This record gives sequence, C-alpha cells and structure tokens, in this order.
Amino acid sequence: MTDLTTQERVSQRVPLWRDVVVLKWVTQVFLLIVVLGAMWFLANQAGDNLRARNINTQFDFLERPVDIQLSEGIDTLPNTGGRALWAAMVNTLRLSIAGIFFATLLGVVVGLARLSDNWLVRRLGSIWVETLRNIPLLVQMIFYFSVLTTLPRVGLGTGPINGWLHISNKGISMPRIFIADGFYQWLVVVLLGLIPAWLVRRYRQKIQDQSGKNTSPILWAIGTIGAFALLGLFVHPAFSWLGAVFGGIADLVDSLPNAVPQIGFAALAVGCAAVWIQRFLSDHRSARGHLSLTDDDWFRIAFAAIASLAVVFVVVSWSGLSAWTLNSSRDLFEVLSDKFNVDGAARPFDAMRPDIIQKGKFPNYGKSGLTMSLGFASVFFAVVFYTSAFIGENVRGGILAVPKGQAEAAKAVGLGRGQILRHVVLPQAFRVILPPTGNQYLNLTKNTSLAIAVGMSDIVQVGTTVFNQTGMTLPVVAIWMLFYLSCSLTISVIVNWFNVRMKLVER
Amino acid sequence: MTGLDSSNVSSTTAGGQPPAATPVSKIAPPVTPKLSIWEWVKENLFSSPFNCGLTVVTTVILLAIFRGLLAFIFNPVRQWNGVATNLRLMMTRAYPEEQYVRIWVCVAVILILTSLSMAIWHAGSALSVSEVGRKLLTTGTILVLFALLAPFSTAATMLWLLVALVVLGFAEFLRRSSRGLEGQTISTLTLLVLTLSGLVASLWVIPYGHHSYIPKRDPRVLAEPGTVALSTKLPWTLMLVIAVVAYFTGRALRDRLPANATRITLIVLWLLAPPALLYLVLRDPAFDMNHVATTDLPIFAAYAIGGTALLSWLTRPSTGELGRIVSAIILLAGFCSFLTPMRMIVRIDMLALAIFALAAPTFSGGPRAQKRYVASWIGLLGVMSWLITAINTPSTVSVPGGFFIGGMSITLMVAVFTLVISFPLGIALALARTSSMPIFRLLATWFIEFVRGIPLITILIFFSIMVPLFLPRGMHLGEVAAVIIGYVLFSSAYLAENVRGGLQSITRGQQEAADAVGMTSAQKTLFIVLPQALRVSIPPLVGHCIGVFKETSLLAIIGVFDILYIGRIVIPGQTEFMGSTKENVLFVSLIYWIFAYQMSKASQRLEQRTGLGER
Repeated sequence: MTDLTTQERVSQRVPLWRDVVVLKWVTQVFLLIVVLGAMWFLANQAGDNLRARNINTQFDFLERPVDIQLSEGIDTLPNTGGRALWAAMVNTLRLSIAGIFFATLLGVVVGLARLSDNWLVRRLGSIWVETLRNIPLLVQMIFYFSVLTTLPRVGLGTGPINGWLHISNKGISMPRIFIADGFYQWLVVVLLGLIPAWLVRRYRQKIQDQSGKNTSPILWAIGTIGAFALLGLFVHPAFSWLGAVFGGIADLVDSLPNAVPQIGFAALAVGCAAVWIQRFLSDHRSARGHLSLTDDDWFRIAFAAIASLAVVFVVVSWSGLSAWTLNSSRDLFEVLSDKFNVDGAARPFDAMRPDIIQKGKFPNYGKSGLTMSLGFASVFFAVVFYTSAFIGENVRGGILAVPKGQAEAAKAVGLGRGQILRHVVLPQAFRVILPPTGNQYLNLTKNTSLAIAVGMSDIVQVGTTVFNQTGMTLPVVAIWMLFYLSCSLTISVIVNWFNVRMKLVER
Repeated sequence: MTGLDSSNVSSTTAGGQPPAATPVSKIAPPVTPKLSIWEWVKENLFSSPFNCGLTVVTTVILLAIFRGLLAFIFNPVRQWNGVATNLRLMMTRAYPEEQYVRIWVCVAVILILTSLSMAIWHAGSALSVSEVGRKLLTTGTILVLFALLAPFSTAATMLWLLVALVVLGFAEFLRRSSRGLEGQTISTLTLLVLTLSGLVASLWVIPYGHHSYIPKRDPRVLAEPGTVALSTKLPWTLMLVIAVVAYFTGRALRDRLPANATRITLIVLWLLAPPALLYLVLRDPAFDMNHVATTDLPIFAAYAIGGTALLSWLTRPSTGELGRIVSAIILLAGFCSFLTPMRMIVRIDMLALAIFALAAPTFSGGPRAQKRYVASWIGLLGVMSWLITAINTPSTVSVPGGFFIGGMSITLMVAVFTLVISFPLGIALALARTSSMPIFRLLATWFIEFVRGIPLITILIFFSIMVPLFLPRGMHLGEVAAVIIGYVLFSSAYLAENVRGGLQSITRGQQEAADAVGMTSAQKTLFIVLPQALRVSIPPLVGHCIGVFKETSLLAIIGVFDILYIGRIVIPGQTEFMGSTKENVLFVSLIYWIFAYQMSKASQRLEQRTGLGER
C-alpha cells in the first residue's frame, strides 16, 4: 500500500468528496435547488394568502369592463382592462420615443456647448449639466408639474395660435396626423418596396465599385422606398384580400388541438439541447477526431440534457401555456384580418386641427387635436432635460476621446472645418458615444414610469388603477415586467446593431 | 454658486493665472502666457464674428434665466414661510419635540465621525491667496448681478450692492496683497469652517424670524420677528464647536496612533453608526431585561462559546476535509431550520456561523490569525444579537402614524441601508456572473438582466404590496423594511455590473501568480482579485451611490413620508400654506442638489488623488 509509484498515484482517482469538479457541481445544484425551493415556497405562500382573501390570479380581468379614465392617448375611456393597459402602453411608447428623439438633439447641443471656444457658452453648458444631473428626476418632474398647473385656464380664444396651438392648464393641444383605416394595406406596399430598394442599392454599389464615382447607393435605396410609399397612396386598396387570408389562418389556428404547441415547444427544447450538445462535442474534438472530455464537461452535458427534459415536463404538464399560445395567436390573426377588411376608399393617413368646444358651462379641448396633458408635458420635459445632461456628457467625452492628431491631420490634408467634423471626428467619436447613450435610452424608457407621480396615464399608473379595482396584482406586475423587458430588449438590439456596424467600419 | 466657483478653477487656469498647486487643475498647460483681462475677454468671448454673436445670445439667455429665477423666488406671492415653518417636519417628520435631543446626539455623532475621518485621511487641500481672491471676485460679481436683477425695493438693492462692493473690495485687496507672496496658501478646511461660522453667527444676528408650526395650538403657525428660535441656533452652534474640536483631536491623535488600525476602527464605526443610532438612539427600545437575561443572552452565549470552539478548530491549518464537511452540515442545518418552528435569531445565527465556518480555511494560520478570526465572529454575533433584539423590542418614542422617522432622515436612512446591504450582495452577484460555474453564472446573469430591465418604481410597488402576501402567516414586516428589500435587490444588480467591470480589468497574470504561491480560490478572490477590482471600480461605485441617494425620492410615490412627500403633499395640505408646492419642491431640489453635487465633487477629487483613470 505504502510504496505506490508516482504513476499509480496519478492514475488513482481522488475520492468523490474531495473531487473539486464534483464539489463544484454539488454546490451549484444545491444552490439551484435552494433558489427554486425558495421561489416555490414564496409562490405557495402567496397563493395561500390570495386564496384566503378570495383573490384569483387569472388573466380574465383583461376582458372584463373597468372604470378607468386615461389622461390622454388612443382611448381615454377604455371599456376593458386589456384595452386600458394597451392604451397606456401606447402612451408610454409615445413618451419614450419622443423623449429619446428630443433628448438626443438637446444632448448633442449641450455636449457641443461644453466644448465651445466661447467661455460663456461653456459655462452655460456646465451649469445645465451640473444642475440637472444632481437633482432627482422625480423632484424635477413634480416641480415642472406644479409650475405648469398655474397656466391660464382654457377659454374659447386660448392661444398662442388659436385653432393650431393651444396652451392652457388643460394641456397642450396641436394638430395631429394619424394612422387611418387604409394604413396597413399601404404598409404592405412599402414592405414590398424593400425588395427593389435592396436590388437598386446593390446595383448602384456595383457601379460605384467599378467606376470609383460616388453613386450614393443609400440615397437611391431610400428614394425607391419613397417612390413605393407614394405609389402606395393610390394602389393600396388592391391588398384588401389579405384580410380573408389572415381570417383563414385564424380559423386554422382555432381548429388546432392543444397538443400541437405542446409538441412544438417540447421539440424546440429538446432540439436546442441536442444542437448545443452536438456543438459542444464538436468543439472538444481534436483535429483527428479524438474526443477528450473532462469531468466538468460531462457535468455540463448532463445538465443541458436534464434542463431540456425539465422544460419538456413543464410544457406537457402545464396545458394552460399552450392554450394561451393558441388563443393569442388566433387573436393576433383576427386583429390583422380586421385591419385589412376595410373598404377601398379608406386613406392611409389623416390629419386634423385641434379645436375647443363648449359643452355645458366650461370650454374644453375637443377630441380632434393631439393633446398633451400637463402630466405628459411635465414628464416629457423632465426626462428630456435630465437625459440631455447625461447624453451631453457622453458626447463631450466621445469627442474628447478622438486624438487631436486626427483633426490636425485632416486639416493638413486641406479639409474644411465642417468636413473635418463630418468625415473625421464625428465618425470616430460616435463609436465612443453610442454604447453609453444606448444605456441612457434604456434609462429614459424606464424613467417614464415615474409618470404615476403626476397622474399621467402610463402603463404603471393605469396598471395600479387596474389592480386596485380588480385585485389582480400579480398579473398586472407580470404585464409590466414583460412590457419593460421587451422595450429594453428592443432598444439594446437596435443599439447593438449600430454598434456592430460601427465596428465593421473600423477595419 | 458653489458650482460656478469650484468649476471656475479649471477654466480660469487656462485664462492666465499660474496653475494652482492643487491637483484640481488637471489640464493645466506647462507655461501659460499672462493675459490681461481685456485680452482674456477677446480670446474667450469675441474671437470671431460667430463667437461675438454667440456671446450676445448666451448673455441674453443667461440674464433672462437668472432674472426669471430671481423673479420667481422673490415674488411676493411665494410662501417661503411654509418651508421655514415646517423645517422640522421636513427633516424628521413628527419626532416628538421633548425627545429632540436624540436627533442632536445623532447629528453630533455623525459630525464627530466626519471630522475624525477628515483628520485621519488628510482631507482638504491648500488654495493660494490669489485663488481665493479670484473666487471672491466671482462671488462679488454674482452678488452685483443679483442685486441689480432681483425685484427688490431700492433700499434693499442698495444694501445688497453695498454687500457686493465690500466683497469685491476685499477680493481685490487679497489679489493685490498676494502679488508678492506666491507661496502663501489657505487650507480649504479653514475656508469651510469660516463660511460655516459665518452662517451660524448669522443665526444669532440676522432676524430671520422665529417660525414654528404646532398643530395643537391656535394659531397653529407662529411667526415672530427676531432671530431664529433658541432651540435651533444653540444646537447648531454646539455642533460646529463639536466638529471643530473633533477635527483637532483627530489631528492630534493622527501621528500618535498606528495609521492602519485607526482607519479600520473608523470604518467599522462608520458601518456601525447608522443602525446603532437609528435603533438604539432614535428608536429608544424598551428592553425587557427579564427576556434579555433568560432568552437573548443564553442564545448569544451558546453561539459565542460554541462558535469559538468550532472556529478555533477550523482555522487550524492542520484541520482537513472534516472541517469542510462539518461546515457544510451546519449550513444545511441552517437551511433546514426554516422548516421547523424556532426563534428567528437562532436560524440567522446558525447561517452566519455556517458562513464563518465555510470561510475559515481561507483565514487559517497561526494563533494570532485564529484569535483575530474568533474575535471578529464574537463581535459580529454581538452586534447582530443586539440589533435584532433592539429592532424586535417596542419603541418608547411614540410617533403618530407609521415609521418613527421621516423626511430627510428617512431618505438618508434608506440610502445608507440600501447601499450597505447591497454592497456584499452586488459583489457576490458579480463574482457569480464572472465565475466558471455555469449554473451560478446563469442564475446571476438572469437576475441582473431581469432587474436592470424593469423600472425601480415597479419593483417598489411590487414589494410594498406583495411582501405581506409572500410571508407565512404570523410574520410581519413593516412597509419601509419591505421597500428596502426591494431597493436592495435593485441596487445590487446595478452594483454587480459596476464591480464586474472592475473584475474584468484584472489581468490573468495576477490570478496565475496567486495560483503559483498556492492560494486557494477563495484566498485568491478575497486577497488578490477583489481589492484590485474594487479600486478600479471606485468611480462608477460613487456614481451608483449618488444614484441610489437621488432615487430614494421614489419613496414618495408609494406613500412613505420622505422629504419630497412632505414638501409636495403634507405642507400644501396645511390650510395656512395651500398652494405652496412649487416653493417646497424647489427647496427639496436644492437640498438634493447640495448632497449630490458634493458627492460628485468628492468623487472627482478622490479619483484625482488616487490617480485612478490615468492608468
């Protein structure tokens, strides 16, 4: 026993309780069990408590009537909970998109101001940044709101430009352009236009590569899409047959048995695991095809297989999930079919001017204008100003990050000031500016949720009202999280796409 | 005004004066040509026609903003006495007046700790006299503008102009007299103390008026002319004296005590101060001595003795695998204890002991190391038992409605507690996310990305409503505690991302070197990787602290009585001050601004002092 050779010592396996790999995996599985157990315990507890209070956690409140009045948006008196949440989501999206646009504009101005040659402009920029960055957004928002509520009352002659722009303590009302019934058919025409646009761009690019002249392929592609958009205004009624197609798909989905999505999900889970394992194995195969796997790798493979089986189990045992998938895809196609089933005379777009109507004793804004309530205005100004300070700092940092030699070299070649900025400094600065600014866009979107403090009907405010009326806290919170997570995901995907493009330009 | 002054430094060094000896002038050119005022103006404001136009437009905008702001503030319609009368409400809500000495004790303790830390860490820098003169010149100019633009009566304008002229004259005197002596400097701390003494002295001299609001009295608002109440000016004077004395004590002690030990003691005191002040001083628990003697002390003694024996065995380097197995069994027992009914403190102590036992091999060594480890266990156990007992004991201070403090105090409390608790959690998450173990990585990544994807307010609403539902029957958690739990989870996800940035900056060579000297992976992480990673991530961490402090304002939305809620809802609800929301919110934003701006300036100074960001 005692006189083992080195060879034998090495070949002898370590006992199981001293094997680092085994210990690591035991710890991990233990932690996983603790986390899942804690979640199960909490969910169970919540379920018991909710049942004790006679609260059921179903999503059917989305179809039942609620008593909610929204401050603004596509539907101010929604008749169901789902419609109310939908209108509120549109409000949040409006606020975020407008906010991102204006915050970017203002932020660039602030950033450039902080780099100006002019002492006074520089000073103004830094006062802007240092003041707004160091006061909480919510405090700013409430301050703007309390100032805006002192605006004059609405009257029949409310200005500044009566009939076009009204500013009063009922909000800001202006002309609006909106999507009318024919929009979806028109959109099909525009989407069809993408194919020729792509072809045109490739063709122009080829000419440019051959001749060396600037043939502006991107501009040509945009022009092609524009031509199709114009054409679409006249020919869009030709696509109303799509309504029947979508209706047919909806009927088909409706007739599918519950097992179809179940089998689909299960196959997806198993397929993903199989593909992952296959790739893992091929990665660990040497050039001669020899497979060498450590214990840790075996654990990984086993974990992937077990996880996919667990997903299959959940999908099969939870039939509500597949039923929900079927129902919601049927609803989606039904909505699409409704959108296309309009008569041929419908226009894709329409425009209206704001008006003031007198119903009873007091004048008020009519429905025809695009009205921004005071809450919306204060949230809007607050997020735009606040984010502009941060974006301004990003812009400043990005421009400072471009080596001075670059601009000097460009000057030596004889480029003008504008050309240096456009072709040399900004493209390089943009690469530094974009990632943190993308983060600011995410923050802005999340920050619009503070609208609840000034009574603007965003998704959080309406969601709170809905669960106060129905008691459905968990479903509403789930909807919030899903909505914000998908917003965040969308923005990160867009920003990352730009990021990757910028990186490709580099080399 | 502070903003103008201190950011002036970097821009005016480019303008002409020799760069100051402070580290503030980061981009000071090697040789700056001396420009006269007119040359400077021409260079910086009127160098080209475009620049001239820009200057004119900006001047108009700036003057309009300044004037608008002053017209807003000094409009006779404004009800500033709403703020003045309710200052106590805004700071501490309804804390009983006869117990107010407790608040002052807390302020004094924090001030003493601050002064001591300033002395021990050599805070402050030296300013040259001409620098001070230039700053005063700027202040004087702003005062002149202020006097001319504010909607004052002629007499008041004259008075303010006179003050401005005095300041300007003094500044010019300083500038002229410092011509010969370039090396003459003043400490920034001296300036700070001078300014604060001026402010405190003005409480005794200038008739701000005696405002107070007592709901049970008629008339409820008392606004007498004269200087402020004695209950305000006396404590503040005392506080200033205490702070100055503490600073000089710290300076005297600095050279006599061992530097490292003093610093660690101070850090421990800083960590202990918030919970101790809150739960022992402000809350004043009525300890049931009988219960303490029969239950709490025996539990403490059992854990202290058992823990000492266990840990001194575990920290012996000769203890092998058996120690690890024993610690794992204790951890398992700690988790299983949640399945059977027993006192919460027993479970918490057992989990803490398990963590100490698991970490023991990392700190193992000779008798000194063993003793230190056991001492830190007993210390932590003592503090934990003391605090848990204090929190579970009913308070003797009766505060109407809800939590026992409110206003600014609760803002600070939530911010401090959130940061302190989320710090270890965030580090753990960051380590898990960068670890090589896939399940840890997956769980940490999902948690972090999920939390970062949703707004804070949804988390706070969820926790304030749902936590009572998640708890087993018979267990209660106050709303503030529930909200802090949610905020901690939120903050730790962001903190983890900041720390992860630091972790990724540690080169492989460091880890390999640690491997080469035979460190275990826990020792490698604790003693090699983390200290370097945290040092790199100081700037984003300070930014995170500022963010957490600012976002405590969201508590107002879920109805916690913080300073914003009081300013927006409570004060305008008093019949005397209806419609005073704007003034109150402006005051609140000023307070937040001062705190956040000072923190960001401090972080910039820290960055320059430690030379971060230059490597």
